[in-house]
Amino acid sequence: MSHPDRAERLIDEHAAAEWITDGMTIAIGDPAPMAMIRHIVRRGVRDLTVVGSGLGLDLLIAAGCVRKAVAYYVGGGPAFRAAAEGGDIEVWECEEGVLVAGLRAAAQGLPFLPWRGGLGTSLPEINPDLRVFEDPINGETLLAVPAIDVDVAILHAAHADAFGNVQHVGGPGWLDLFLLRAADRSIVQVEKILPNEEVRAKPWATTIARIDAVVRLPFGAHPFASNGFHVQDKSATRQYVTAAAKAQRDGDRADLDAFITTFCREPASHLDYLELIGVSQLLSLHEY
Amino acid sequence: MSDQPATRLEIMAAFLANELEDGEILRIGAAMPVPEVAVRLAHFHHGPNMELIFIGARFNAAHLDVLPTPEFGWDRRVVRWAESYSDTGHRFDRVKDWGTHVFFIGGIQVDKHGNTNLIGTGDDYEKLDFRGPGSVGTSTLATHVGRYYIVVNSHTARTFVDQCDYVSAFGWGDGDPEARRRLGIPGGGPKYCVTPLCVMDFTDDTKHLRLKFVHPGVSVDEVVENTGFDLIVPADVPETPLPTDGELHIIRSRADRRGALRR
Repeated sequence: MSHPDRAERLIDEHAAAEWITDGMTIAIGDPAPMAMIRHIVRRGVRDLTVVGSGLGLDLLIAAGCVRKAVAYYVGGGPAFRAAAEGGDIEVWECEEGVLVAGLRAAAQGLPFLPWRGGLGTSLPEINPDLRVFEDPINGETLLAVPAIDVDVAILHAAHADAFGNVQHVGGPGWLDLFLLRAADRSIVQVEKILPNEEVRAKPWATTIARIDAVVRLPFGAHPFASNGFHVQDKSATRQYVTAAAKAQRDGDRADLDAFITTFCREPASHLDYLELIGVSQLLSLHEY
Repeated sequence: MSDQPATRLEIMAAFLANELEDGEILRIGAAMPVPEVAVRLAHFHHGPNMELIFIGARFNAAHLDVLPTPEFGWDRRVVRWAESYSDTGHRFDRVKDWGTHVFFIGGIQVDKHGNTNLIGTGDDYEKLDFRGPGSVGTSTLATHVGRYYIVVNSHTARTFVDQCDYVSAFGWGDGDPEARRRLGIPGGGPKYCVTPLCVMDFTDDTKHLRLKFVHPGVSVDEVVENTGFDLIVPADVPETPLPTDGELHIIRSRADRRGALRR
Protein backbone atom coordinates (compact mmCIF):
# COMPACT_ATOMS: atom_id res chain seq x y z
CA MET A 1 0.00 0.00 0.00
CA SER A 2 1.06 3.54 -0.67
CA HIS A 3 -0.33 6.66 0.90
CA PRO A 4 -3.84 7.28 -0.44
CA ASP A 5 -2.87 10.81 -1.48
CA ARG A 6 0.17 9.71 -3.43
CA ALA A 7 -0.49 10.64 -7.03
CA GLU A 8 -0.43 7.88 -9.57
CA ARG A 9 1.34 8.44 -12.84
CA LEU A 10 -0.66 5.89 -14.72
CA ILE A 11 -2.49 7.56 -17.57
CA ASP A 12 -4.29 6.23 -20.61
CA GLU A 13 -2.89 6.19 -24.10
CA HIS A 14 -5.03 9.06 -25.36
CA ALA A 15 -4.02 11.35 -22.50
CA ALA A 16 -0.35 10.47 -23.06
CA ALA A 17 -0.67 11.09 -26.80
CA GLU A 18 -1.81 14.65 -26.11
CA TRP A 19 1.57 15.40 -24.55
CA ILE A 20 3.09 15.36 -28.02
CA THR A 21 2.37 18.54 -29.94
CA ASP A 22 3.53 20.18 -33.16
CA GLY A 23 7.13 21.36 -33.25
CA MET A 24 8.34 19.43 -30.20
CA THR A 25 11.59 17.53 -29.88
CA ILE A 26 10.81 13.95 -28.98
CA ALA A 27 13.06 10.96 -28.43
CA ILE A 28 11.92 7.43 -29.20
CA GLY A 29 13.66 4.51 -27.52
CA ASP A 30 14.32 0.93 -28.48
CA PRO A 31 12.21 -1.04 -29.02
CA ALA A 32 10.32 1.81 -30.62
CA PRO A 33 7.22 2.66 -28.58
CA MET A 34 5.03 1.86 -31.55
CA ALA A 35 1.64 2.26 -29.90
CA MET A 36 2.50 5.87 -28.99
CA ILE A 37 4.08 6.42 -32.40
CA ARG A 38 0.85 5.27 -34.06
CA HIS A 39 -1.03 7.79 -31.92
CA ILE A 40 1.31 10.55 -33.09
CA VAL A 41 0.62 9.55 -36.70
CA ARG A 42 -3.14 9.26 -36.12
CA ARG A 43 -3.28 12.69 -34.51
CA GLY A 44 -1.30 14.16 -37.40
CA VAL A 45 1.35 15.84 -35.25
CA ARG A 46 3.73 17.79 -37.44
CA ASP A 47 7.16 19.41 -37.50
CA LEU A 48 8.65 17.15 -34.88
CA THR A 49 12.35 16.93 -34.25
CA VAL A 50 12.97 13.28 -33.53
CA VAL A 51 15.94 11.69 -31.81
CA GLY A 52 15.69 8.12 -32.93
CA SER A 53 16.74 5.35 -35.22
CA GLY A 54 15.31 2.50 -37.24
CA LEU A 55 11.87 1.88 -38.63
CA GLY A 56 9.98 3.67 -35.84
CA LEU A 57 11.59 6.91 -36.95
CA ASP A 58 11.12 5.89 -40.57
CA LEU A 59 7.36 5.48 -40.11
CA LEU A 60 7.08 8.93 -38.50
CA ILE A 61 8.91 10.38 -41.51
CA ALA A 62 6.70 8.44 -43.94
CA ALA A 63 3.61 9.83 -42.21
CA GLY A 64 4.84 13.42 -42.54
CA CYS A 65 5.31 14.06 -38.81
CA VAL A 66 9.01 14.92 -38.92
CA ARG A 67 10.79 18.15 -39.74
CA LYS A 68 14.20 17.19 -38.42
CA ALA A 69 15.80 13.83 -37.68
CA VAL A 70 18.62 13.65 -35.15
CA ALA A 71 19.97 10.45 -36.55
CA TYR A 72 23.15 8.47 -36.79
CA TYR A 73 21.69 5.35 -38.33
CA VAL A 74 18.51 4.69 -40.24
CA GLY A 75 19.74 1.66 -42.15
CA GLY A 76 16.99 0.04 -44.15
CA GLY A 77 14.69 3.03 -43.69
CA PRO A 78 13.25 3.84 -47.12
CA ALA A 79 11.24 6.88 -46.03
CA PHE A 80 14.27 8.40 -44.32
CA ARG A 81 16.27 7.89 -47.48
CA ALA A 82 13.59 9.39 -49.74
CA ALA A 83 12.94 12.37 -47.45
CA ALA A 84 16.64 13.10 -46.98
CA GLU A 85 17.35 12.85 -50.70
CA GLY A 86 14.34 15.01 -51.54
CA GLY A 87 15.25 17.64 -48.96
CA ASP A 88 11.88 17.06 -47.27
CA ILE A 89 13.44 16.70 -43.84
CA GLU A 90 16.46 18.21 -42.20
CA VAL A 91 19.04 15.74 -40.91
CA TRP A 92 21.04 16.66 -37.83
CA GLU A 93 23.93 14.50 -38.89
CA CYS A 94 25.66 12.75 -36.04
CA GLU A 95 27.11 9.48 -34.84
CA GLU A 96 26.57 7.25 -31.82
CA GLY A 97 29.35 8.66 -29.67
CA VAL A 98 28.54 12.22 -30.72
CA LEU A 99 24.86 11.72 -29.95
CA VAL A 100 25.64 10.30 -26.52
CA ALA A 101 27.81 13.36 -25.75
CA GLY A 102 24.94 15.69 -26.74
CA LEU A 103 22.37 13.79 -24.68
CA ARG A 104 24.71 13.77 -21.68
CA ALA A 105 25.26 17.51 -22.01
CA ALA A 106 21.49 18.05 -21.95
CA ALA A 107 21.10 15.78 -18.92
CA GLN A 108 23.85 17.59 -17.07
CA GLY A 109 22.61 21.06 -17.87
CA LEU A 110 25.74 21.87 -19.85
CA PRO A 111 25.85 23.84 -23.09
CA PHE A 112 28.04 21.16 -24.68
CA LEU A 113 30.37 18.29 -23.99
CA PRO A 114 33.62 17.59 -25.78
CA TRP A 115 34.07 14.48 -27.88
CA ARG A 116 36.97 13.15 -29.91
CA GLY A 117 35.18 10.75 -32.26
CA GLY A 118 34.30 12.56 -35.46
CA LEU A 119 37.45 14.67 -35.64
CA GLY A 120 38.71 14.75 -39.21
CA THR A 121 35.32 13.67 -40.59
CA SER A 122 32.70 15.69 -42.48
CA LEU A 123 30.41 15.79 -39.46
CA PRO A 124 31.26 19.35 -38.33
CA GLU A 125 30.96 20.57 -41.93
CA ILE A 126 27.53 19.14 -42.62
CA ASN A 127 26.29 19.75 -39.09
CA PRO A 128 27.47 23.26 -38.19
CA ASP A 129 26.13 22.82 -34.65
CA LEU A 130 29.17 20.62 -34.02
CA ARG A 131 32.16 22.92 -33.45
CA VAL A 132 35.82 22.10 -33.53
CA PHE A 133 37.51 23.85 -30.61
CA GLU A 134 40.73 23.95 -28.68
CA ASP A 135 40.44 22.62 -25.17
CA PRO A 136 41.60 25.06 -22.49
CA ILE A 137 43.39 22.41 -20.42
CA ASN A 138 45.81 20.76 -22.83
CA GLY A 139 45.20 22.68 -26.02
CA GLU A 140 43.91 19.58 -27.81
CA THR A 141 41.55 19.84 -30.76
CA LEU A 142 38.13 18.43 -29.93
CA LEU A 143 34.52 18.50 -31.07
CA ALA A 144 32.03 20.47 -29.01
CA VAL A 145 28.70 18.67 -29.14
CA PRO A 146 25.83 20.95 -28.09
CA ALA A 147 23.24 19.74 -25.61
CA ILE A 148 20.42 17.84 -27.29
CA ASP A 149 17.46 18.90 -25.17
CA VAL A 150 14.41 16.71 -25.53
CA ASP A 151 10.85 17.73 -24.63
CA VAL A 152 9.44 14.25 -24.25
CA ALA A 153 11.17 10.87 -24.27
CA ILE A 154 8.93 7.91 -25.12
CA LEU A 155 10.16 4.45 -24.20
CA HIS A 156 8.85 0.90 -24.13
CA ALA A 157 9.63 -1.40 -21.20
CA ALA A 158 8.43 -4.56 -19.51
CA HIS A 159 6.85 -3.47 -16.22
CA ALA A 160 6.10 -0.43 -14.10
CA ASP A 161 4.08 0.36 -11.06
CA ALA A 162 1.57 3.19 -11.01
CA PHE A 163 4.19 5.58 -9.60
CA GLY A 164 6.63 5.41 -12.48
CA ASN A 165 9.05 2.80 -11.24
CA VAL A 166 10.08 0.84 -14.31
CA GLN A 167 11.58 -2.62 -14.68
CA HIS A 168 13.07 -4.13 -17.80
CA VAL A 169 13.56 -7.72 -18.78
CA GLY A 170 17.20 -7.92 -19.82
CA GLY A 171 17.98 -4.36 -18.87
CA PRO A 172 17.36 -1.10 -20.70
CA GLY A 173 18.93 -1.19 -24.12
CA TRP A 174 20.24 1.18 -26.76
CA LEU A 175 20.11 4.82 -25.59
CA ASP A 176 16.94 4.64 -23.52
CA LEU A 177 18.51 5.85 -20.27
CA PHE A 178 20.25 8.70 -22.06
CA LEU A 179 17.13 9.80 -23.94
CA LEU A 180 15.26 9.84 -20.67
CA ARG A 181 17.90 11.89 -18.87
CA ALA A 182 18.02 14.44 -21.71
CA ALA A 183 14.23 14.88 -21.62
CA ASP A 184 12.00 17.24 -19.65
CA ARG A 185 9.22 14.70 -19.51
CA SER A 186 9.01 10.99 -20.07
CA ILE A 187 6.37 8.49 -21.09
CA VAL A 188 6.99 4.78 -20.71
CA GLN A 189 4.60 2.30 -22.23
CA VAL A 190 4.74 -1.09 -20.53
CA GLU A 191 3.54 -4.62 -21.05
CA LYS A 192 2.33 -5.03 -17.51
CA ILE A 193 1.53 -2.94 -14.43
CA LEU A 194 2.98 -4.22 -11.17
CA PRO A 195 1.71 -3.56 -7.67
CA ASN A 196 3.94 -1.11 -5.80
CA GLU A 197 4.65 -3.84 -3.20
CA GLU A 198 6.36 -5.91 -5.88
CA VAL A 199 8.62 -2.97 -6.78
CA ARG A 200 9.52 -2.32 -3.14
CA ALA A 201 10.30 -6.01 -2.62
CA LYS A 202 13.30 -5.67 -4.97
CA PRO A 203 14.22 -2.04 -5.57
CA TRP A 204 17.42 -3.09 -7.36
CA ALA A 205 15.19 -4.35 -10.19
CA THR A 206 13.97 -0.81 -10.86
CA THR A 207 15.84 0.20 -13.99
CA ILE A 208 14.30 3.65 -14.37
CA ALA A 209 12.81 5.79 -11.63
CA ARG A 210 10.64 8.89 -11.77
CA ILE A 211 8.86 8.41 -15.06
CA ASP A 212 6.24 11.09 -15.61
CA ALA A 213 3.67 8.92 -17.30
CA VAL A 214 3.14 5.17 -17.35
CA VAL A 215 0.86 3.79 -20.04
CA ARG A 216 -0.25 0.17 -20.04
CA LEU A 217 0.11 -1.01 -23.62
CA PRO A 218 0.69 -4.76 -23.90
CA PHE A 219 2.19 -5.65 -27.29
CA GLY A 220 2.76 -1.90 -27.61
CA ALA A 221 6.10 -2.41 -29.35
CA HIS A 222 4.55 -4.54 -32.08
CA PRO A 223 5.83 -5.16 -34.75
CA PHE A 224 9.16 -4.90 -32.94
CA ALA A 225 10.40 -7.27 -30.27
CA SER A 226 9.65 -6.70 -26.59
CA ASN A 227 12.23 -8.40 -24.40
CA GLY A 228 10.77 -11.23 -22.39
CA PHE A 229 7.40 -10.98 -24.12
CA HIS A 230 7.61 -11.46 -27.85
CA VAL A 231 9.97 -11.47 -30.80
CA GLN A 232 9.77 -9.20 -33.83
CA ASP A 233 6.84 -9.72 -36.20
CA LYS A 234 8.88 -9.95 -39.35
CA SER A 235 5.89 -10.24 -41.65
CA ALA A 236 4.67 -6.85 -40.42
CA THR A 237 8.02 -5.08 -40.63
CA ARG A 238 8.52 -6.55 -44.10
CA GLN A 239 5.12 -5.28 -45.17
CA TYR A 240 6.09 -1.76 -44.10
CA VAL A 241 9.55 -1.88 -45.69
CA THR A 242 8.13 -3.22 -48.96
CA ALA A 243 5.54 -0.43 -49.13
CA ALA A 244 7.99 2.30 -48.10
CA ALA A 245 10.64 1.04 -50.51
CA LYS A 246 8.15 1.16 -53.37
CA ALA A 247 7.37 4.77 -52.50
CA GLN A 248 11.06 5.58 -52.32
CA ARG A 249 11.92 3.79 -55.55
CA ASP A 250 8.98 4.59 -57.83
CA GLY A 251 7.43 7.57 -56.09
CA ASP A 252 4.24 5.51 -55.83
CA ARG A 253 2.94 6.03 -52.30
CA ALA A 254 -0.32 4.08 -52.68
CA ASP A 255 0.80 1.03 -50.67
CA LEU A 256 2.60 3.13 -48.08
CA ASP A 257 -0.40 5.40 -47.56
CA ALA A 258 -2.67 2.37 -47.32
CA PHE A 259 -0.35 0.85 -44.71
CA ILE A 260 -0.34 4.05 -42.66
CA THR A 261 -4.10 4.42 -42.93
CA THR A 262 -4.83 0.81 -42.03
CA PHE A 263 -2.39 0.39 -39.16
CA CYS A 264 -2.00 3.91 -37.73
CA ARG A 265 -4.89 6.19 -38.65
CA GLU A 266 -7.94 3.93 -38.58
CA PRO A 267 -7.46 2.11 -35.27
CA ALA A 268 -8.70 4.60 -32.68
CA SER A 269 -6.99 2.80 -29.83
CA HIS A 270 -4.27 0.27 -29.21
CA LEU A 271 -6.94 -2.36 -28.62
CA ASP A 272 -8.35 -1.70 -32.09
CA TYR A 273 -4.85 -2.14 -33.49
CA LEU A 274 -4.35 -5.44 -31.67
CA GLU A 275 -7.72 -6.70 -32.94
CA LEU A 276 -6.64 -5.78 -36.44
CA ILE A 277 -3.45 -7.80 -36.08
CA GLY A 278 -5.33 -10.67 -34.48
CA VAL A 279 -4.81 -12.91 -31.49
CA SER A 280 -3.35 -15.80 -33.44
CA GLN A 281 -0.75 -13.60 -35.10
CA LEU A 282 0.21 -11.93 -31.81
CA LEU A 283 0.45 -15.20 -29.92
CA SER A 284 2.53 -16.76 -32.69
CA LEU A 285 5.30 -14.37 -31.65
CA HIS A 286 6.91 -16.48 -28.97
CA GLU A 287 8.58 -15.02 -25.92
CA TYR A 288 12.16 -15.50 -26.95
CA MET B 1 29.74 -29.75 -48.17
CA SER B 2 33.44 -28.87 -47.91
CA ASP B 3 34.04 -30.32 -51.38
CA GLN B 4 32.94 -27.07 -52.94
CA PRO B 5 35.83 -24.61 -53.31
CA ALA B 6 35.85 -21.63 -51.00
CA THR B 7 33.72 -18.72 -52.19
CA ARG B 8 35.26 -15.26 -52.36
CA LEU B 9 33.37 -14.21 -49.25
CA GLU B 10 34.72 -17.27 -47.43
CA ILE B 11 38.23 -16.38 -48.59
CA MET B 12 37.73 -12.87 -47.20
CA ALA B 13 36.52 -14.26 -43.87
CA ALA B 14 39.40 -16.72 -43.56
CA PHE B 15 41.94 -14.03 -44.40
CA LEU B 16 40.52 -11.77 -41.69
CA ALA B 17 40.35 -14.64 -39.20
CA ASN B 18 44.06 -15.24 -39.62
CA GLU B 19 44.69 -11.58 -38.83
CA LEU B 20 43.12 -11.97 -35.41
CA GLU B 21 45.16 -13.14 -32.47
CA ASP B 22 44.05 -15.08 -29.47
CA GLY B 23 43.12 -12.79 -26.60
CA GLU B 24 41.97 -9.90 -28.77
CA ILE B 25 38.73 -8.02 -28.21
CA LEU B 26 36.69 -7.91 -31.39
CA ARG B 27 33.84 -5.48 -32.02
CA ILE B 28 31.39 -6.34 -34.77
CA GLY B 29 28.59 -4.06 -35.94
CA ALA B 30 25.32 -4.87 -37.64
CA ALA B 31 24.97 -6.26 -41.15
CA MET B 32 28.63 -7.27 -41.60
CA PRO B 33 28.40 -10.95 -42.64
CA VAL B 34 32.06 -11.43 -43.58
CA PRO B 35 33.50 -10.05 -40.30
CA GLU B 36 30.85 -11.96 -38.34
CA VAL B 37 32.02 -15.24 -39.82
CA ALA B 38 35.68 -14.20 -39.55
CA VAL B 39 35.54 -13.62 -35.81
CA ARG B 40 33.61 -16.83 -35.21
CA LEU B 41 36.13 -18.78 -37.27
CA ALA B 42 39.04 -17.20 -35.39
CA HIS B 43 37.34 -17.85 -32.04
CA PHE B 44 36.78 -21.55 -32.84
CA HIS B 45 40.04 -22.06 -34.70
CA HIS B 46 42.68 -20.37 -32.57
CA GLY B 47 41.05 -17.86 -30.25
CA PRO B 48 39.68 -19.39 -27.03
CA ASN B 49 40.62 -16.20 -25.17
CA MET B 50 39.01 -13.81 -27.63
CA GLU B 51 36.10 -11.64 -26.58
CA LEU B 52 33.47 -11.06 -29.22
CA ILE B 53 31.29 -8.00 -28.88
CA PHE B 54 28.23 -8.10 -31.14
CA ILE B 55 26.57 -4.70 -30.77
CA GLY B 56 26.53 -4.66 -26.97
CA ALA B 57 26.61 -8.36 -26.16
CA ARG B 58 30.05 -9.47 -25.08
CA PHE B 59 30.81 -13.14 -25.10
CA ASN B 60 33.35 -15.89 -25.09
CA ALA B 61 31.69 -18.99 -26.46
CA ALA B 62 34.50 -21.02 -28.00
CA HIS B 63 33.22 -24.07 -26.12
CA LEU B 64 29.93 -24.05 -28.02
CA ASP B 65 29.40 -25.88 -31.28
CA VAL B 66 27.94 -22.82 -32.93
CA LEU B 67 27.65 -19.15 -32.09
CA PRO B 68 24.47 -17.15 -32.18
CA THR B 69 23.83 -14.97 -35.19
CA PRO B 70 21.81 -11.80 -34.73
CA GLU B 71 18.91 -11.81 -37.17
CA PHE B 72 18.85 -8.04 -37.26
CA GLY B 73 20.88 -5.19 -35.89
CA TRP B 74 19.53 -5.14 -32.38
CA ASP B 75 18.51 -8.74 -31.98
CA ARG B 76 18.84 -8.93 -28.21
CA ARG B 77 18.45 -12.71 -28.24
CA VAL B 78 22.20 -13.02 -28.79
CA VAL B 79 22.53 -11.77 -25.23
CA ARG B 80 21.62 -15.30 -24.14
CA TRP B 81 25.18 -16.33 -24.92
CA ALA B 82 26.78 -13.21 -23.51
CA GLU B 83 28.64 -12.77 -20.25
CA SER B 84 27.75 -9.09 -20.13
CA TYR B 85 25.64 -6.60 -21.99
CA SER B 86 26.18 -2.89 -22.45
CA ASP B 87 23.68 -0.47 -23.87
CA THR B 88 24.80 1.92 -26.58
CA GLY B 89 25.20 4.88 -24.26
CA HIS B 90 27.41 3.22 -21.67
CA ARG B 91 29.50 1.58 -24.38
CA PHE B 92 31.23 4.94 -24.85
CA ASP B 93 32.21 5.29 -21.21
CA ARG B 94 35.43 3.35 -21.57
CA VAL B 95 37.00 4.29 -24.87
CA LYS B 96 40.24 4.53 -22.94
CA ASP B 97 40.85 0.80 -23.39
CA TRP B 98 39.76 0.60 -27.03
CA GLY B 99 43.41 0.68 -28.07
CA THR B 100 43.38 -3.09 -27.62
CA HIS B 101 40.16 -3.54 -29.60
CA VAL B 102 39.74 -4.55 -33.22
CA PHE B 103 36.89 -3.34 -35.40
CA PHE B 104 35.53 -3.84 -38.91
CA ILE B 105 34.12 -0.99 -40.93
CA GLY B 106 32.07 -0.81 -44.14
CA GLY B 107 31.39 2.07 -46.47
CA ILE B 108 29.42 3.19 -49.47
CA GLN B 109 32.66 4.93 -50.49
CA VAL B 110 36.27 4.23 -49.57
CA ASP B 111 38.95 6.65 -50.70
CA LYS B 112 42.60 6.06 -51.53
CA HIS B 113 43.66 6.92 -47.98
CA GLY B 114 41.15 4.65 -46.28
CA ASN B 115 38.67 7.30 -45.25
CA THR B 116 35.16 5.86 -45.40
CA ASN B 117 31.69 7.24 -46.04
CA LEU B 118 28.37 5.96 -44.73
CA ILE B 119 26.63 9.34 -45.00
CA GLY B 120 25.75 9.57 -48.67
CA THR B 121 26.88 10.65 -52.11
CA GLY B 122 26.26 13.82 -54.10
CA ASP B 123 27.54 17.39 -54.13
CA ASP B 124 24.58 18.93 -52.33
CA TYR B 125 24.30 17.62 -48.80
CA GLU B 126 20.78 19.04 -48.50
CA LYS B 127 19.69 16.91 -51.45
CA LEU B 128 21.96 13.92 -51.68
CA ASP B 129 21.97 11.73 -54.79
CA PHE B 130 22.08 8.76 -52.46
CA ARG B 131 21.38 8.98 -48.76
CA GLY B 132 23.41 6.33 -46.92
CA PRO B 133 22.45 4.68 -43.66
CA GLY B 134 24.46 7.01 -41.43
CA SER B 135 27.69 6.88 -39.49
CA VAL B 136 26.46 4.47 -36.78
CA GLY B 137 29.36 4.38 -34.27
CA THR B 138 32.13 4.33 -36.86
CA SER B 139 33.45 7.87 -36.35
CA THR B 140 34.23 7.16 -32.72
CA LEU B 141 35.36 3.56 -33.22
CA ALA B 142 37.74 4.55 -36.03
CA THR B 143 39.12 7.24 -33.72
CA HIS B 144 39.87 4.96 -30.80
CA VAL B 145 40.31 1.29 -31.72
CA GLY B 146 43.83 -0.11 -31.96
CA ARG B 147 43.32 -1.16 -35.56
CA TYR B 148 40.48 -1.80 -37.92
CA TYR B 149 39.74 -3.48 -41.22
CA ILE B 150 37.73 -1.95 -44.03
CA VAL B 151 35.48 -4.68 -45.41
CA VAL B 152 33.15 -4.04 -48.34
CA ASN B 153 30.71 -6.27 -50.16
CA SER B 154 31.39 -4.88 -53.61
CA HIS B 155 34.49 -3.61 -55.34
CA THR B 156 33.62 -1.06 -58.01
CA ALA B 157 34.93 2.28 -59.20
CA ARG B 158 31.90 3.85 -57.52
CA THR B 159 32.90 2.41 -54.15
CA PHE B 160 36.64 3.03 -54.42
CA VAL B 161 36.95 6.72 -55.14
CA ASP B 162 39.72 9.28 -55.18
CA GLN B 163 37.98 11.28 -52.48
CA CYS B 164 34.86 10.46 -50.47
CA ASP B 165 31.98 12.88 -50.96
CA TYR B 166 31.64 12.83 -47.17
CA VAL B 167 33.84 11.20 -44.57
CA SER B 168 32.13 9.45 -41.67
CA ALA B 169 35.24 7.65 -40.39
CA PHE B 170 38.71 9.17 -40.59
CA GLY B 171 41.23 6.69 -41.98
CA TRP B 172 44.49 8.32 -42.99
CA GLY B 173 43.07 11.73 -43.96
CA ASP B 174 45.22 13.25 -46.69
CA GLY B 175 47.72 10.37 -46.54
CA ASP B 176 50.19 11.93 -44.15
CA PRO B 177 51.38 9.09 -41.87
CA GLU B 178 51.26 11.72 -39.10
CA ALA B 179 47.66 12.72 -39.96
CA ARG B 180 46.17 10.88 -37.03
CA ARG B 181 48.76 12.05 -34.54
CA ARG B 182 48.35 15.66 -35.74
CA LEU B 183 44.63 15.52 -35.00
CA GLY B 184 45.20 13.87 -31.64
CA ILE B 185 43.47 10.68 -32.76
CA PRO B 186 44.76 7.84 -30.59
CA GLY B 187 43.61 4.80 -32.62
CA GLY B 188 45.93 2.96 -34.98
CA GLY B 189 43.79 3.36 -38.10
CA PRO B 190 42.86 0.97 -40.90
CA LYS B 191 45.29 -1.88 -41.54
CA TYR B 192 43.85 -3.66 -44.57
CA CYS B 193 40.97 -3.21 -46.93
CA VAL B 194 39.34 -6.50 -47.86
CA THR B 195 36.98 -6.75 -50.85
CA PRO B 196 35.42 -9.51 -52.95
CA LEU B 197 38.30 -9.02 -55.40
CA CYS B 198 41.40 -8.46 -53.32
CA VAL B 199 43.21 -7.41 -50.17
CA MET B 200 44.85 -3.98 -50.04
CA ASP B 201 47.23 -2.48 -47.51
CA PHE B 202 48.61 1.05 -47.14
CA THR B 203 52.01 2.36 -48.20
CA ASP B 204 54.14 3.47 -45.26
CA ASP B 205 55.03 6.93 -46.51
CA THR B 206 51.82 8.09 -48.25
CA LYS B 207 49.20 5.85 -46.61
CA HIS B 208 47.87 5.12 -50.08
CA LEU B 209 45.95 1.92 -50.81
CA ARG B 210 48.19 -0.67 -52.43
CA LEU B 211 47.26 -4.04 -53.85
CA LYS B 212 48.54 -6.85 -51.66
CA PHE B 213 46.69 -10.01 -52.70
CA VAL B 214 44.21 -10.86 -55.43
CA HIS B 215 41.71 -13.62 -54.76
CA PRO B 216 42.12 -16.73 -56.95
CA GLY B 217 40.50 -16.17 -60.35
CA VAL B 218 40.82 -12.38 -60.12
CA SER B 219 43.34 -10.55 -62.31
CA VAL B 220 45.27 -7.48 -61.29
CA ASP B 221 43.69 -5.68 -64.27
CA GLU B 222 40.22 -6.49 -63.01
CA VAL B 223 41.01 -4.86 -59.67
CA VAL B 224 42.57 -1.80 -61.30
CA GLU B 225 39.61 -1.37 -63.67
CA ASN B 226 37.19 -1.50 -60.78
CA THR B 227 39.07 1.00 -58.65
CA GLY B 228 38.30 4.68 -59.13
CA PHE B 229 41.77 5.94 -58.19
CA ASP B 230 45.29 5.01 -59.21
CA LEU B 231 45.83 1.92 -57.13
CA ILE B 232 49.46 1.21 -56.29
CA VAL B 233 50.31 -2.16 -57.80
CA PRO B 234 53.58 -3.85 -56.80
CA ALA B 235 55.47 -5.92 -59.36
CA ASP B 236 54.47 -9.10 -57.64
CA VAL B 237 50.90 -9.57 -56.39
CA PRO B 238 50.40 -13.04 -54.92
CA GLU B 239 47.05 -14.76 -54.56
CA THR B 240 45.18 -14.43 -51.29
CA PRO B 241 45.84 -17.53 -49.19
CA LEU B 242 42.90 -19.93 -49.36
CA PRO B 243 41.25 -21.24 -46.22
CA THR B 244 42.69 -24.59 -45.17
CA ASP B 245 40.37 -27.61 -45.26
CA GLY B 246 40.12 -27.32 -41.48
CA GLU B 247 39.16 -23.65 -41.63
CA LEU B 248 36.63 -24.24 -44.38
CA HIS B 249 35.11 -27.06 -42.37
CA ILE B 250 34.73 -24.79 -39.34
CA ILE B 251 33.20 -22.04 -41.49
CA ARG B 252 30.61 -24.35 -43.03
CA SER B 253 29.78 -26.47 -40.01
CA ARG B 254 30.02 -23.92 -37.19
CA ALA B 255 30.84 -20.32 -38.07
CA ASP B 256 28.42 -19.89 -40.98
CA ARG B 257 25.90 -22.68 -40.78
CA ARG B 258 23.28 -20.59 -42.57
CA GLY B 259 25.62 -20.21 -45.51
CA ALA B 260 25.57 -16.41 -45.65
CA LEU B 261 28.95 -16.48 -47.40
CA ARG B 262 28.06 -19.31 -49.78
CA ARG B 263 25.30 -17.41 -51.58
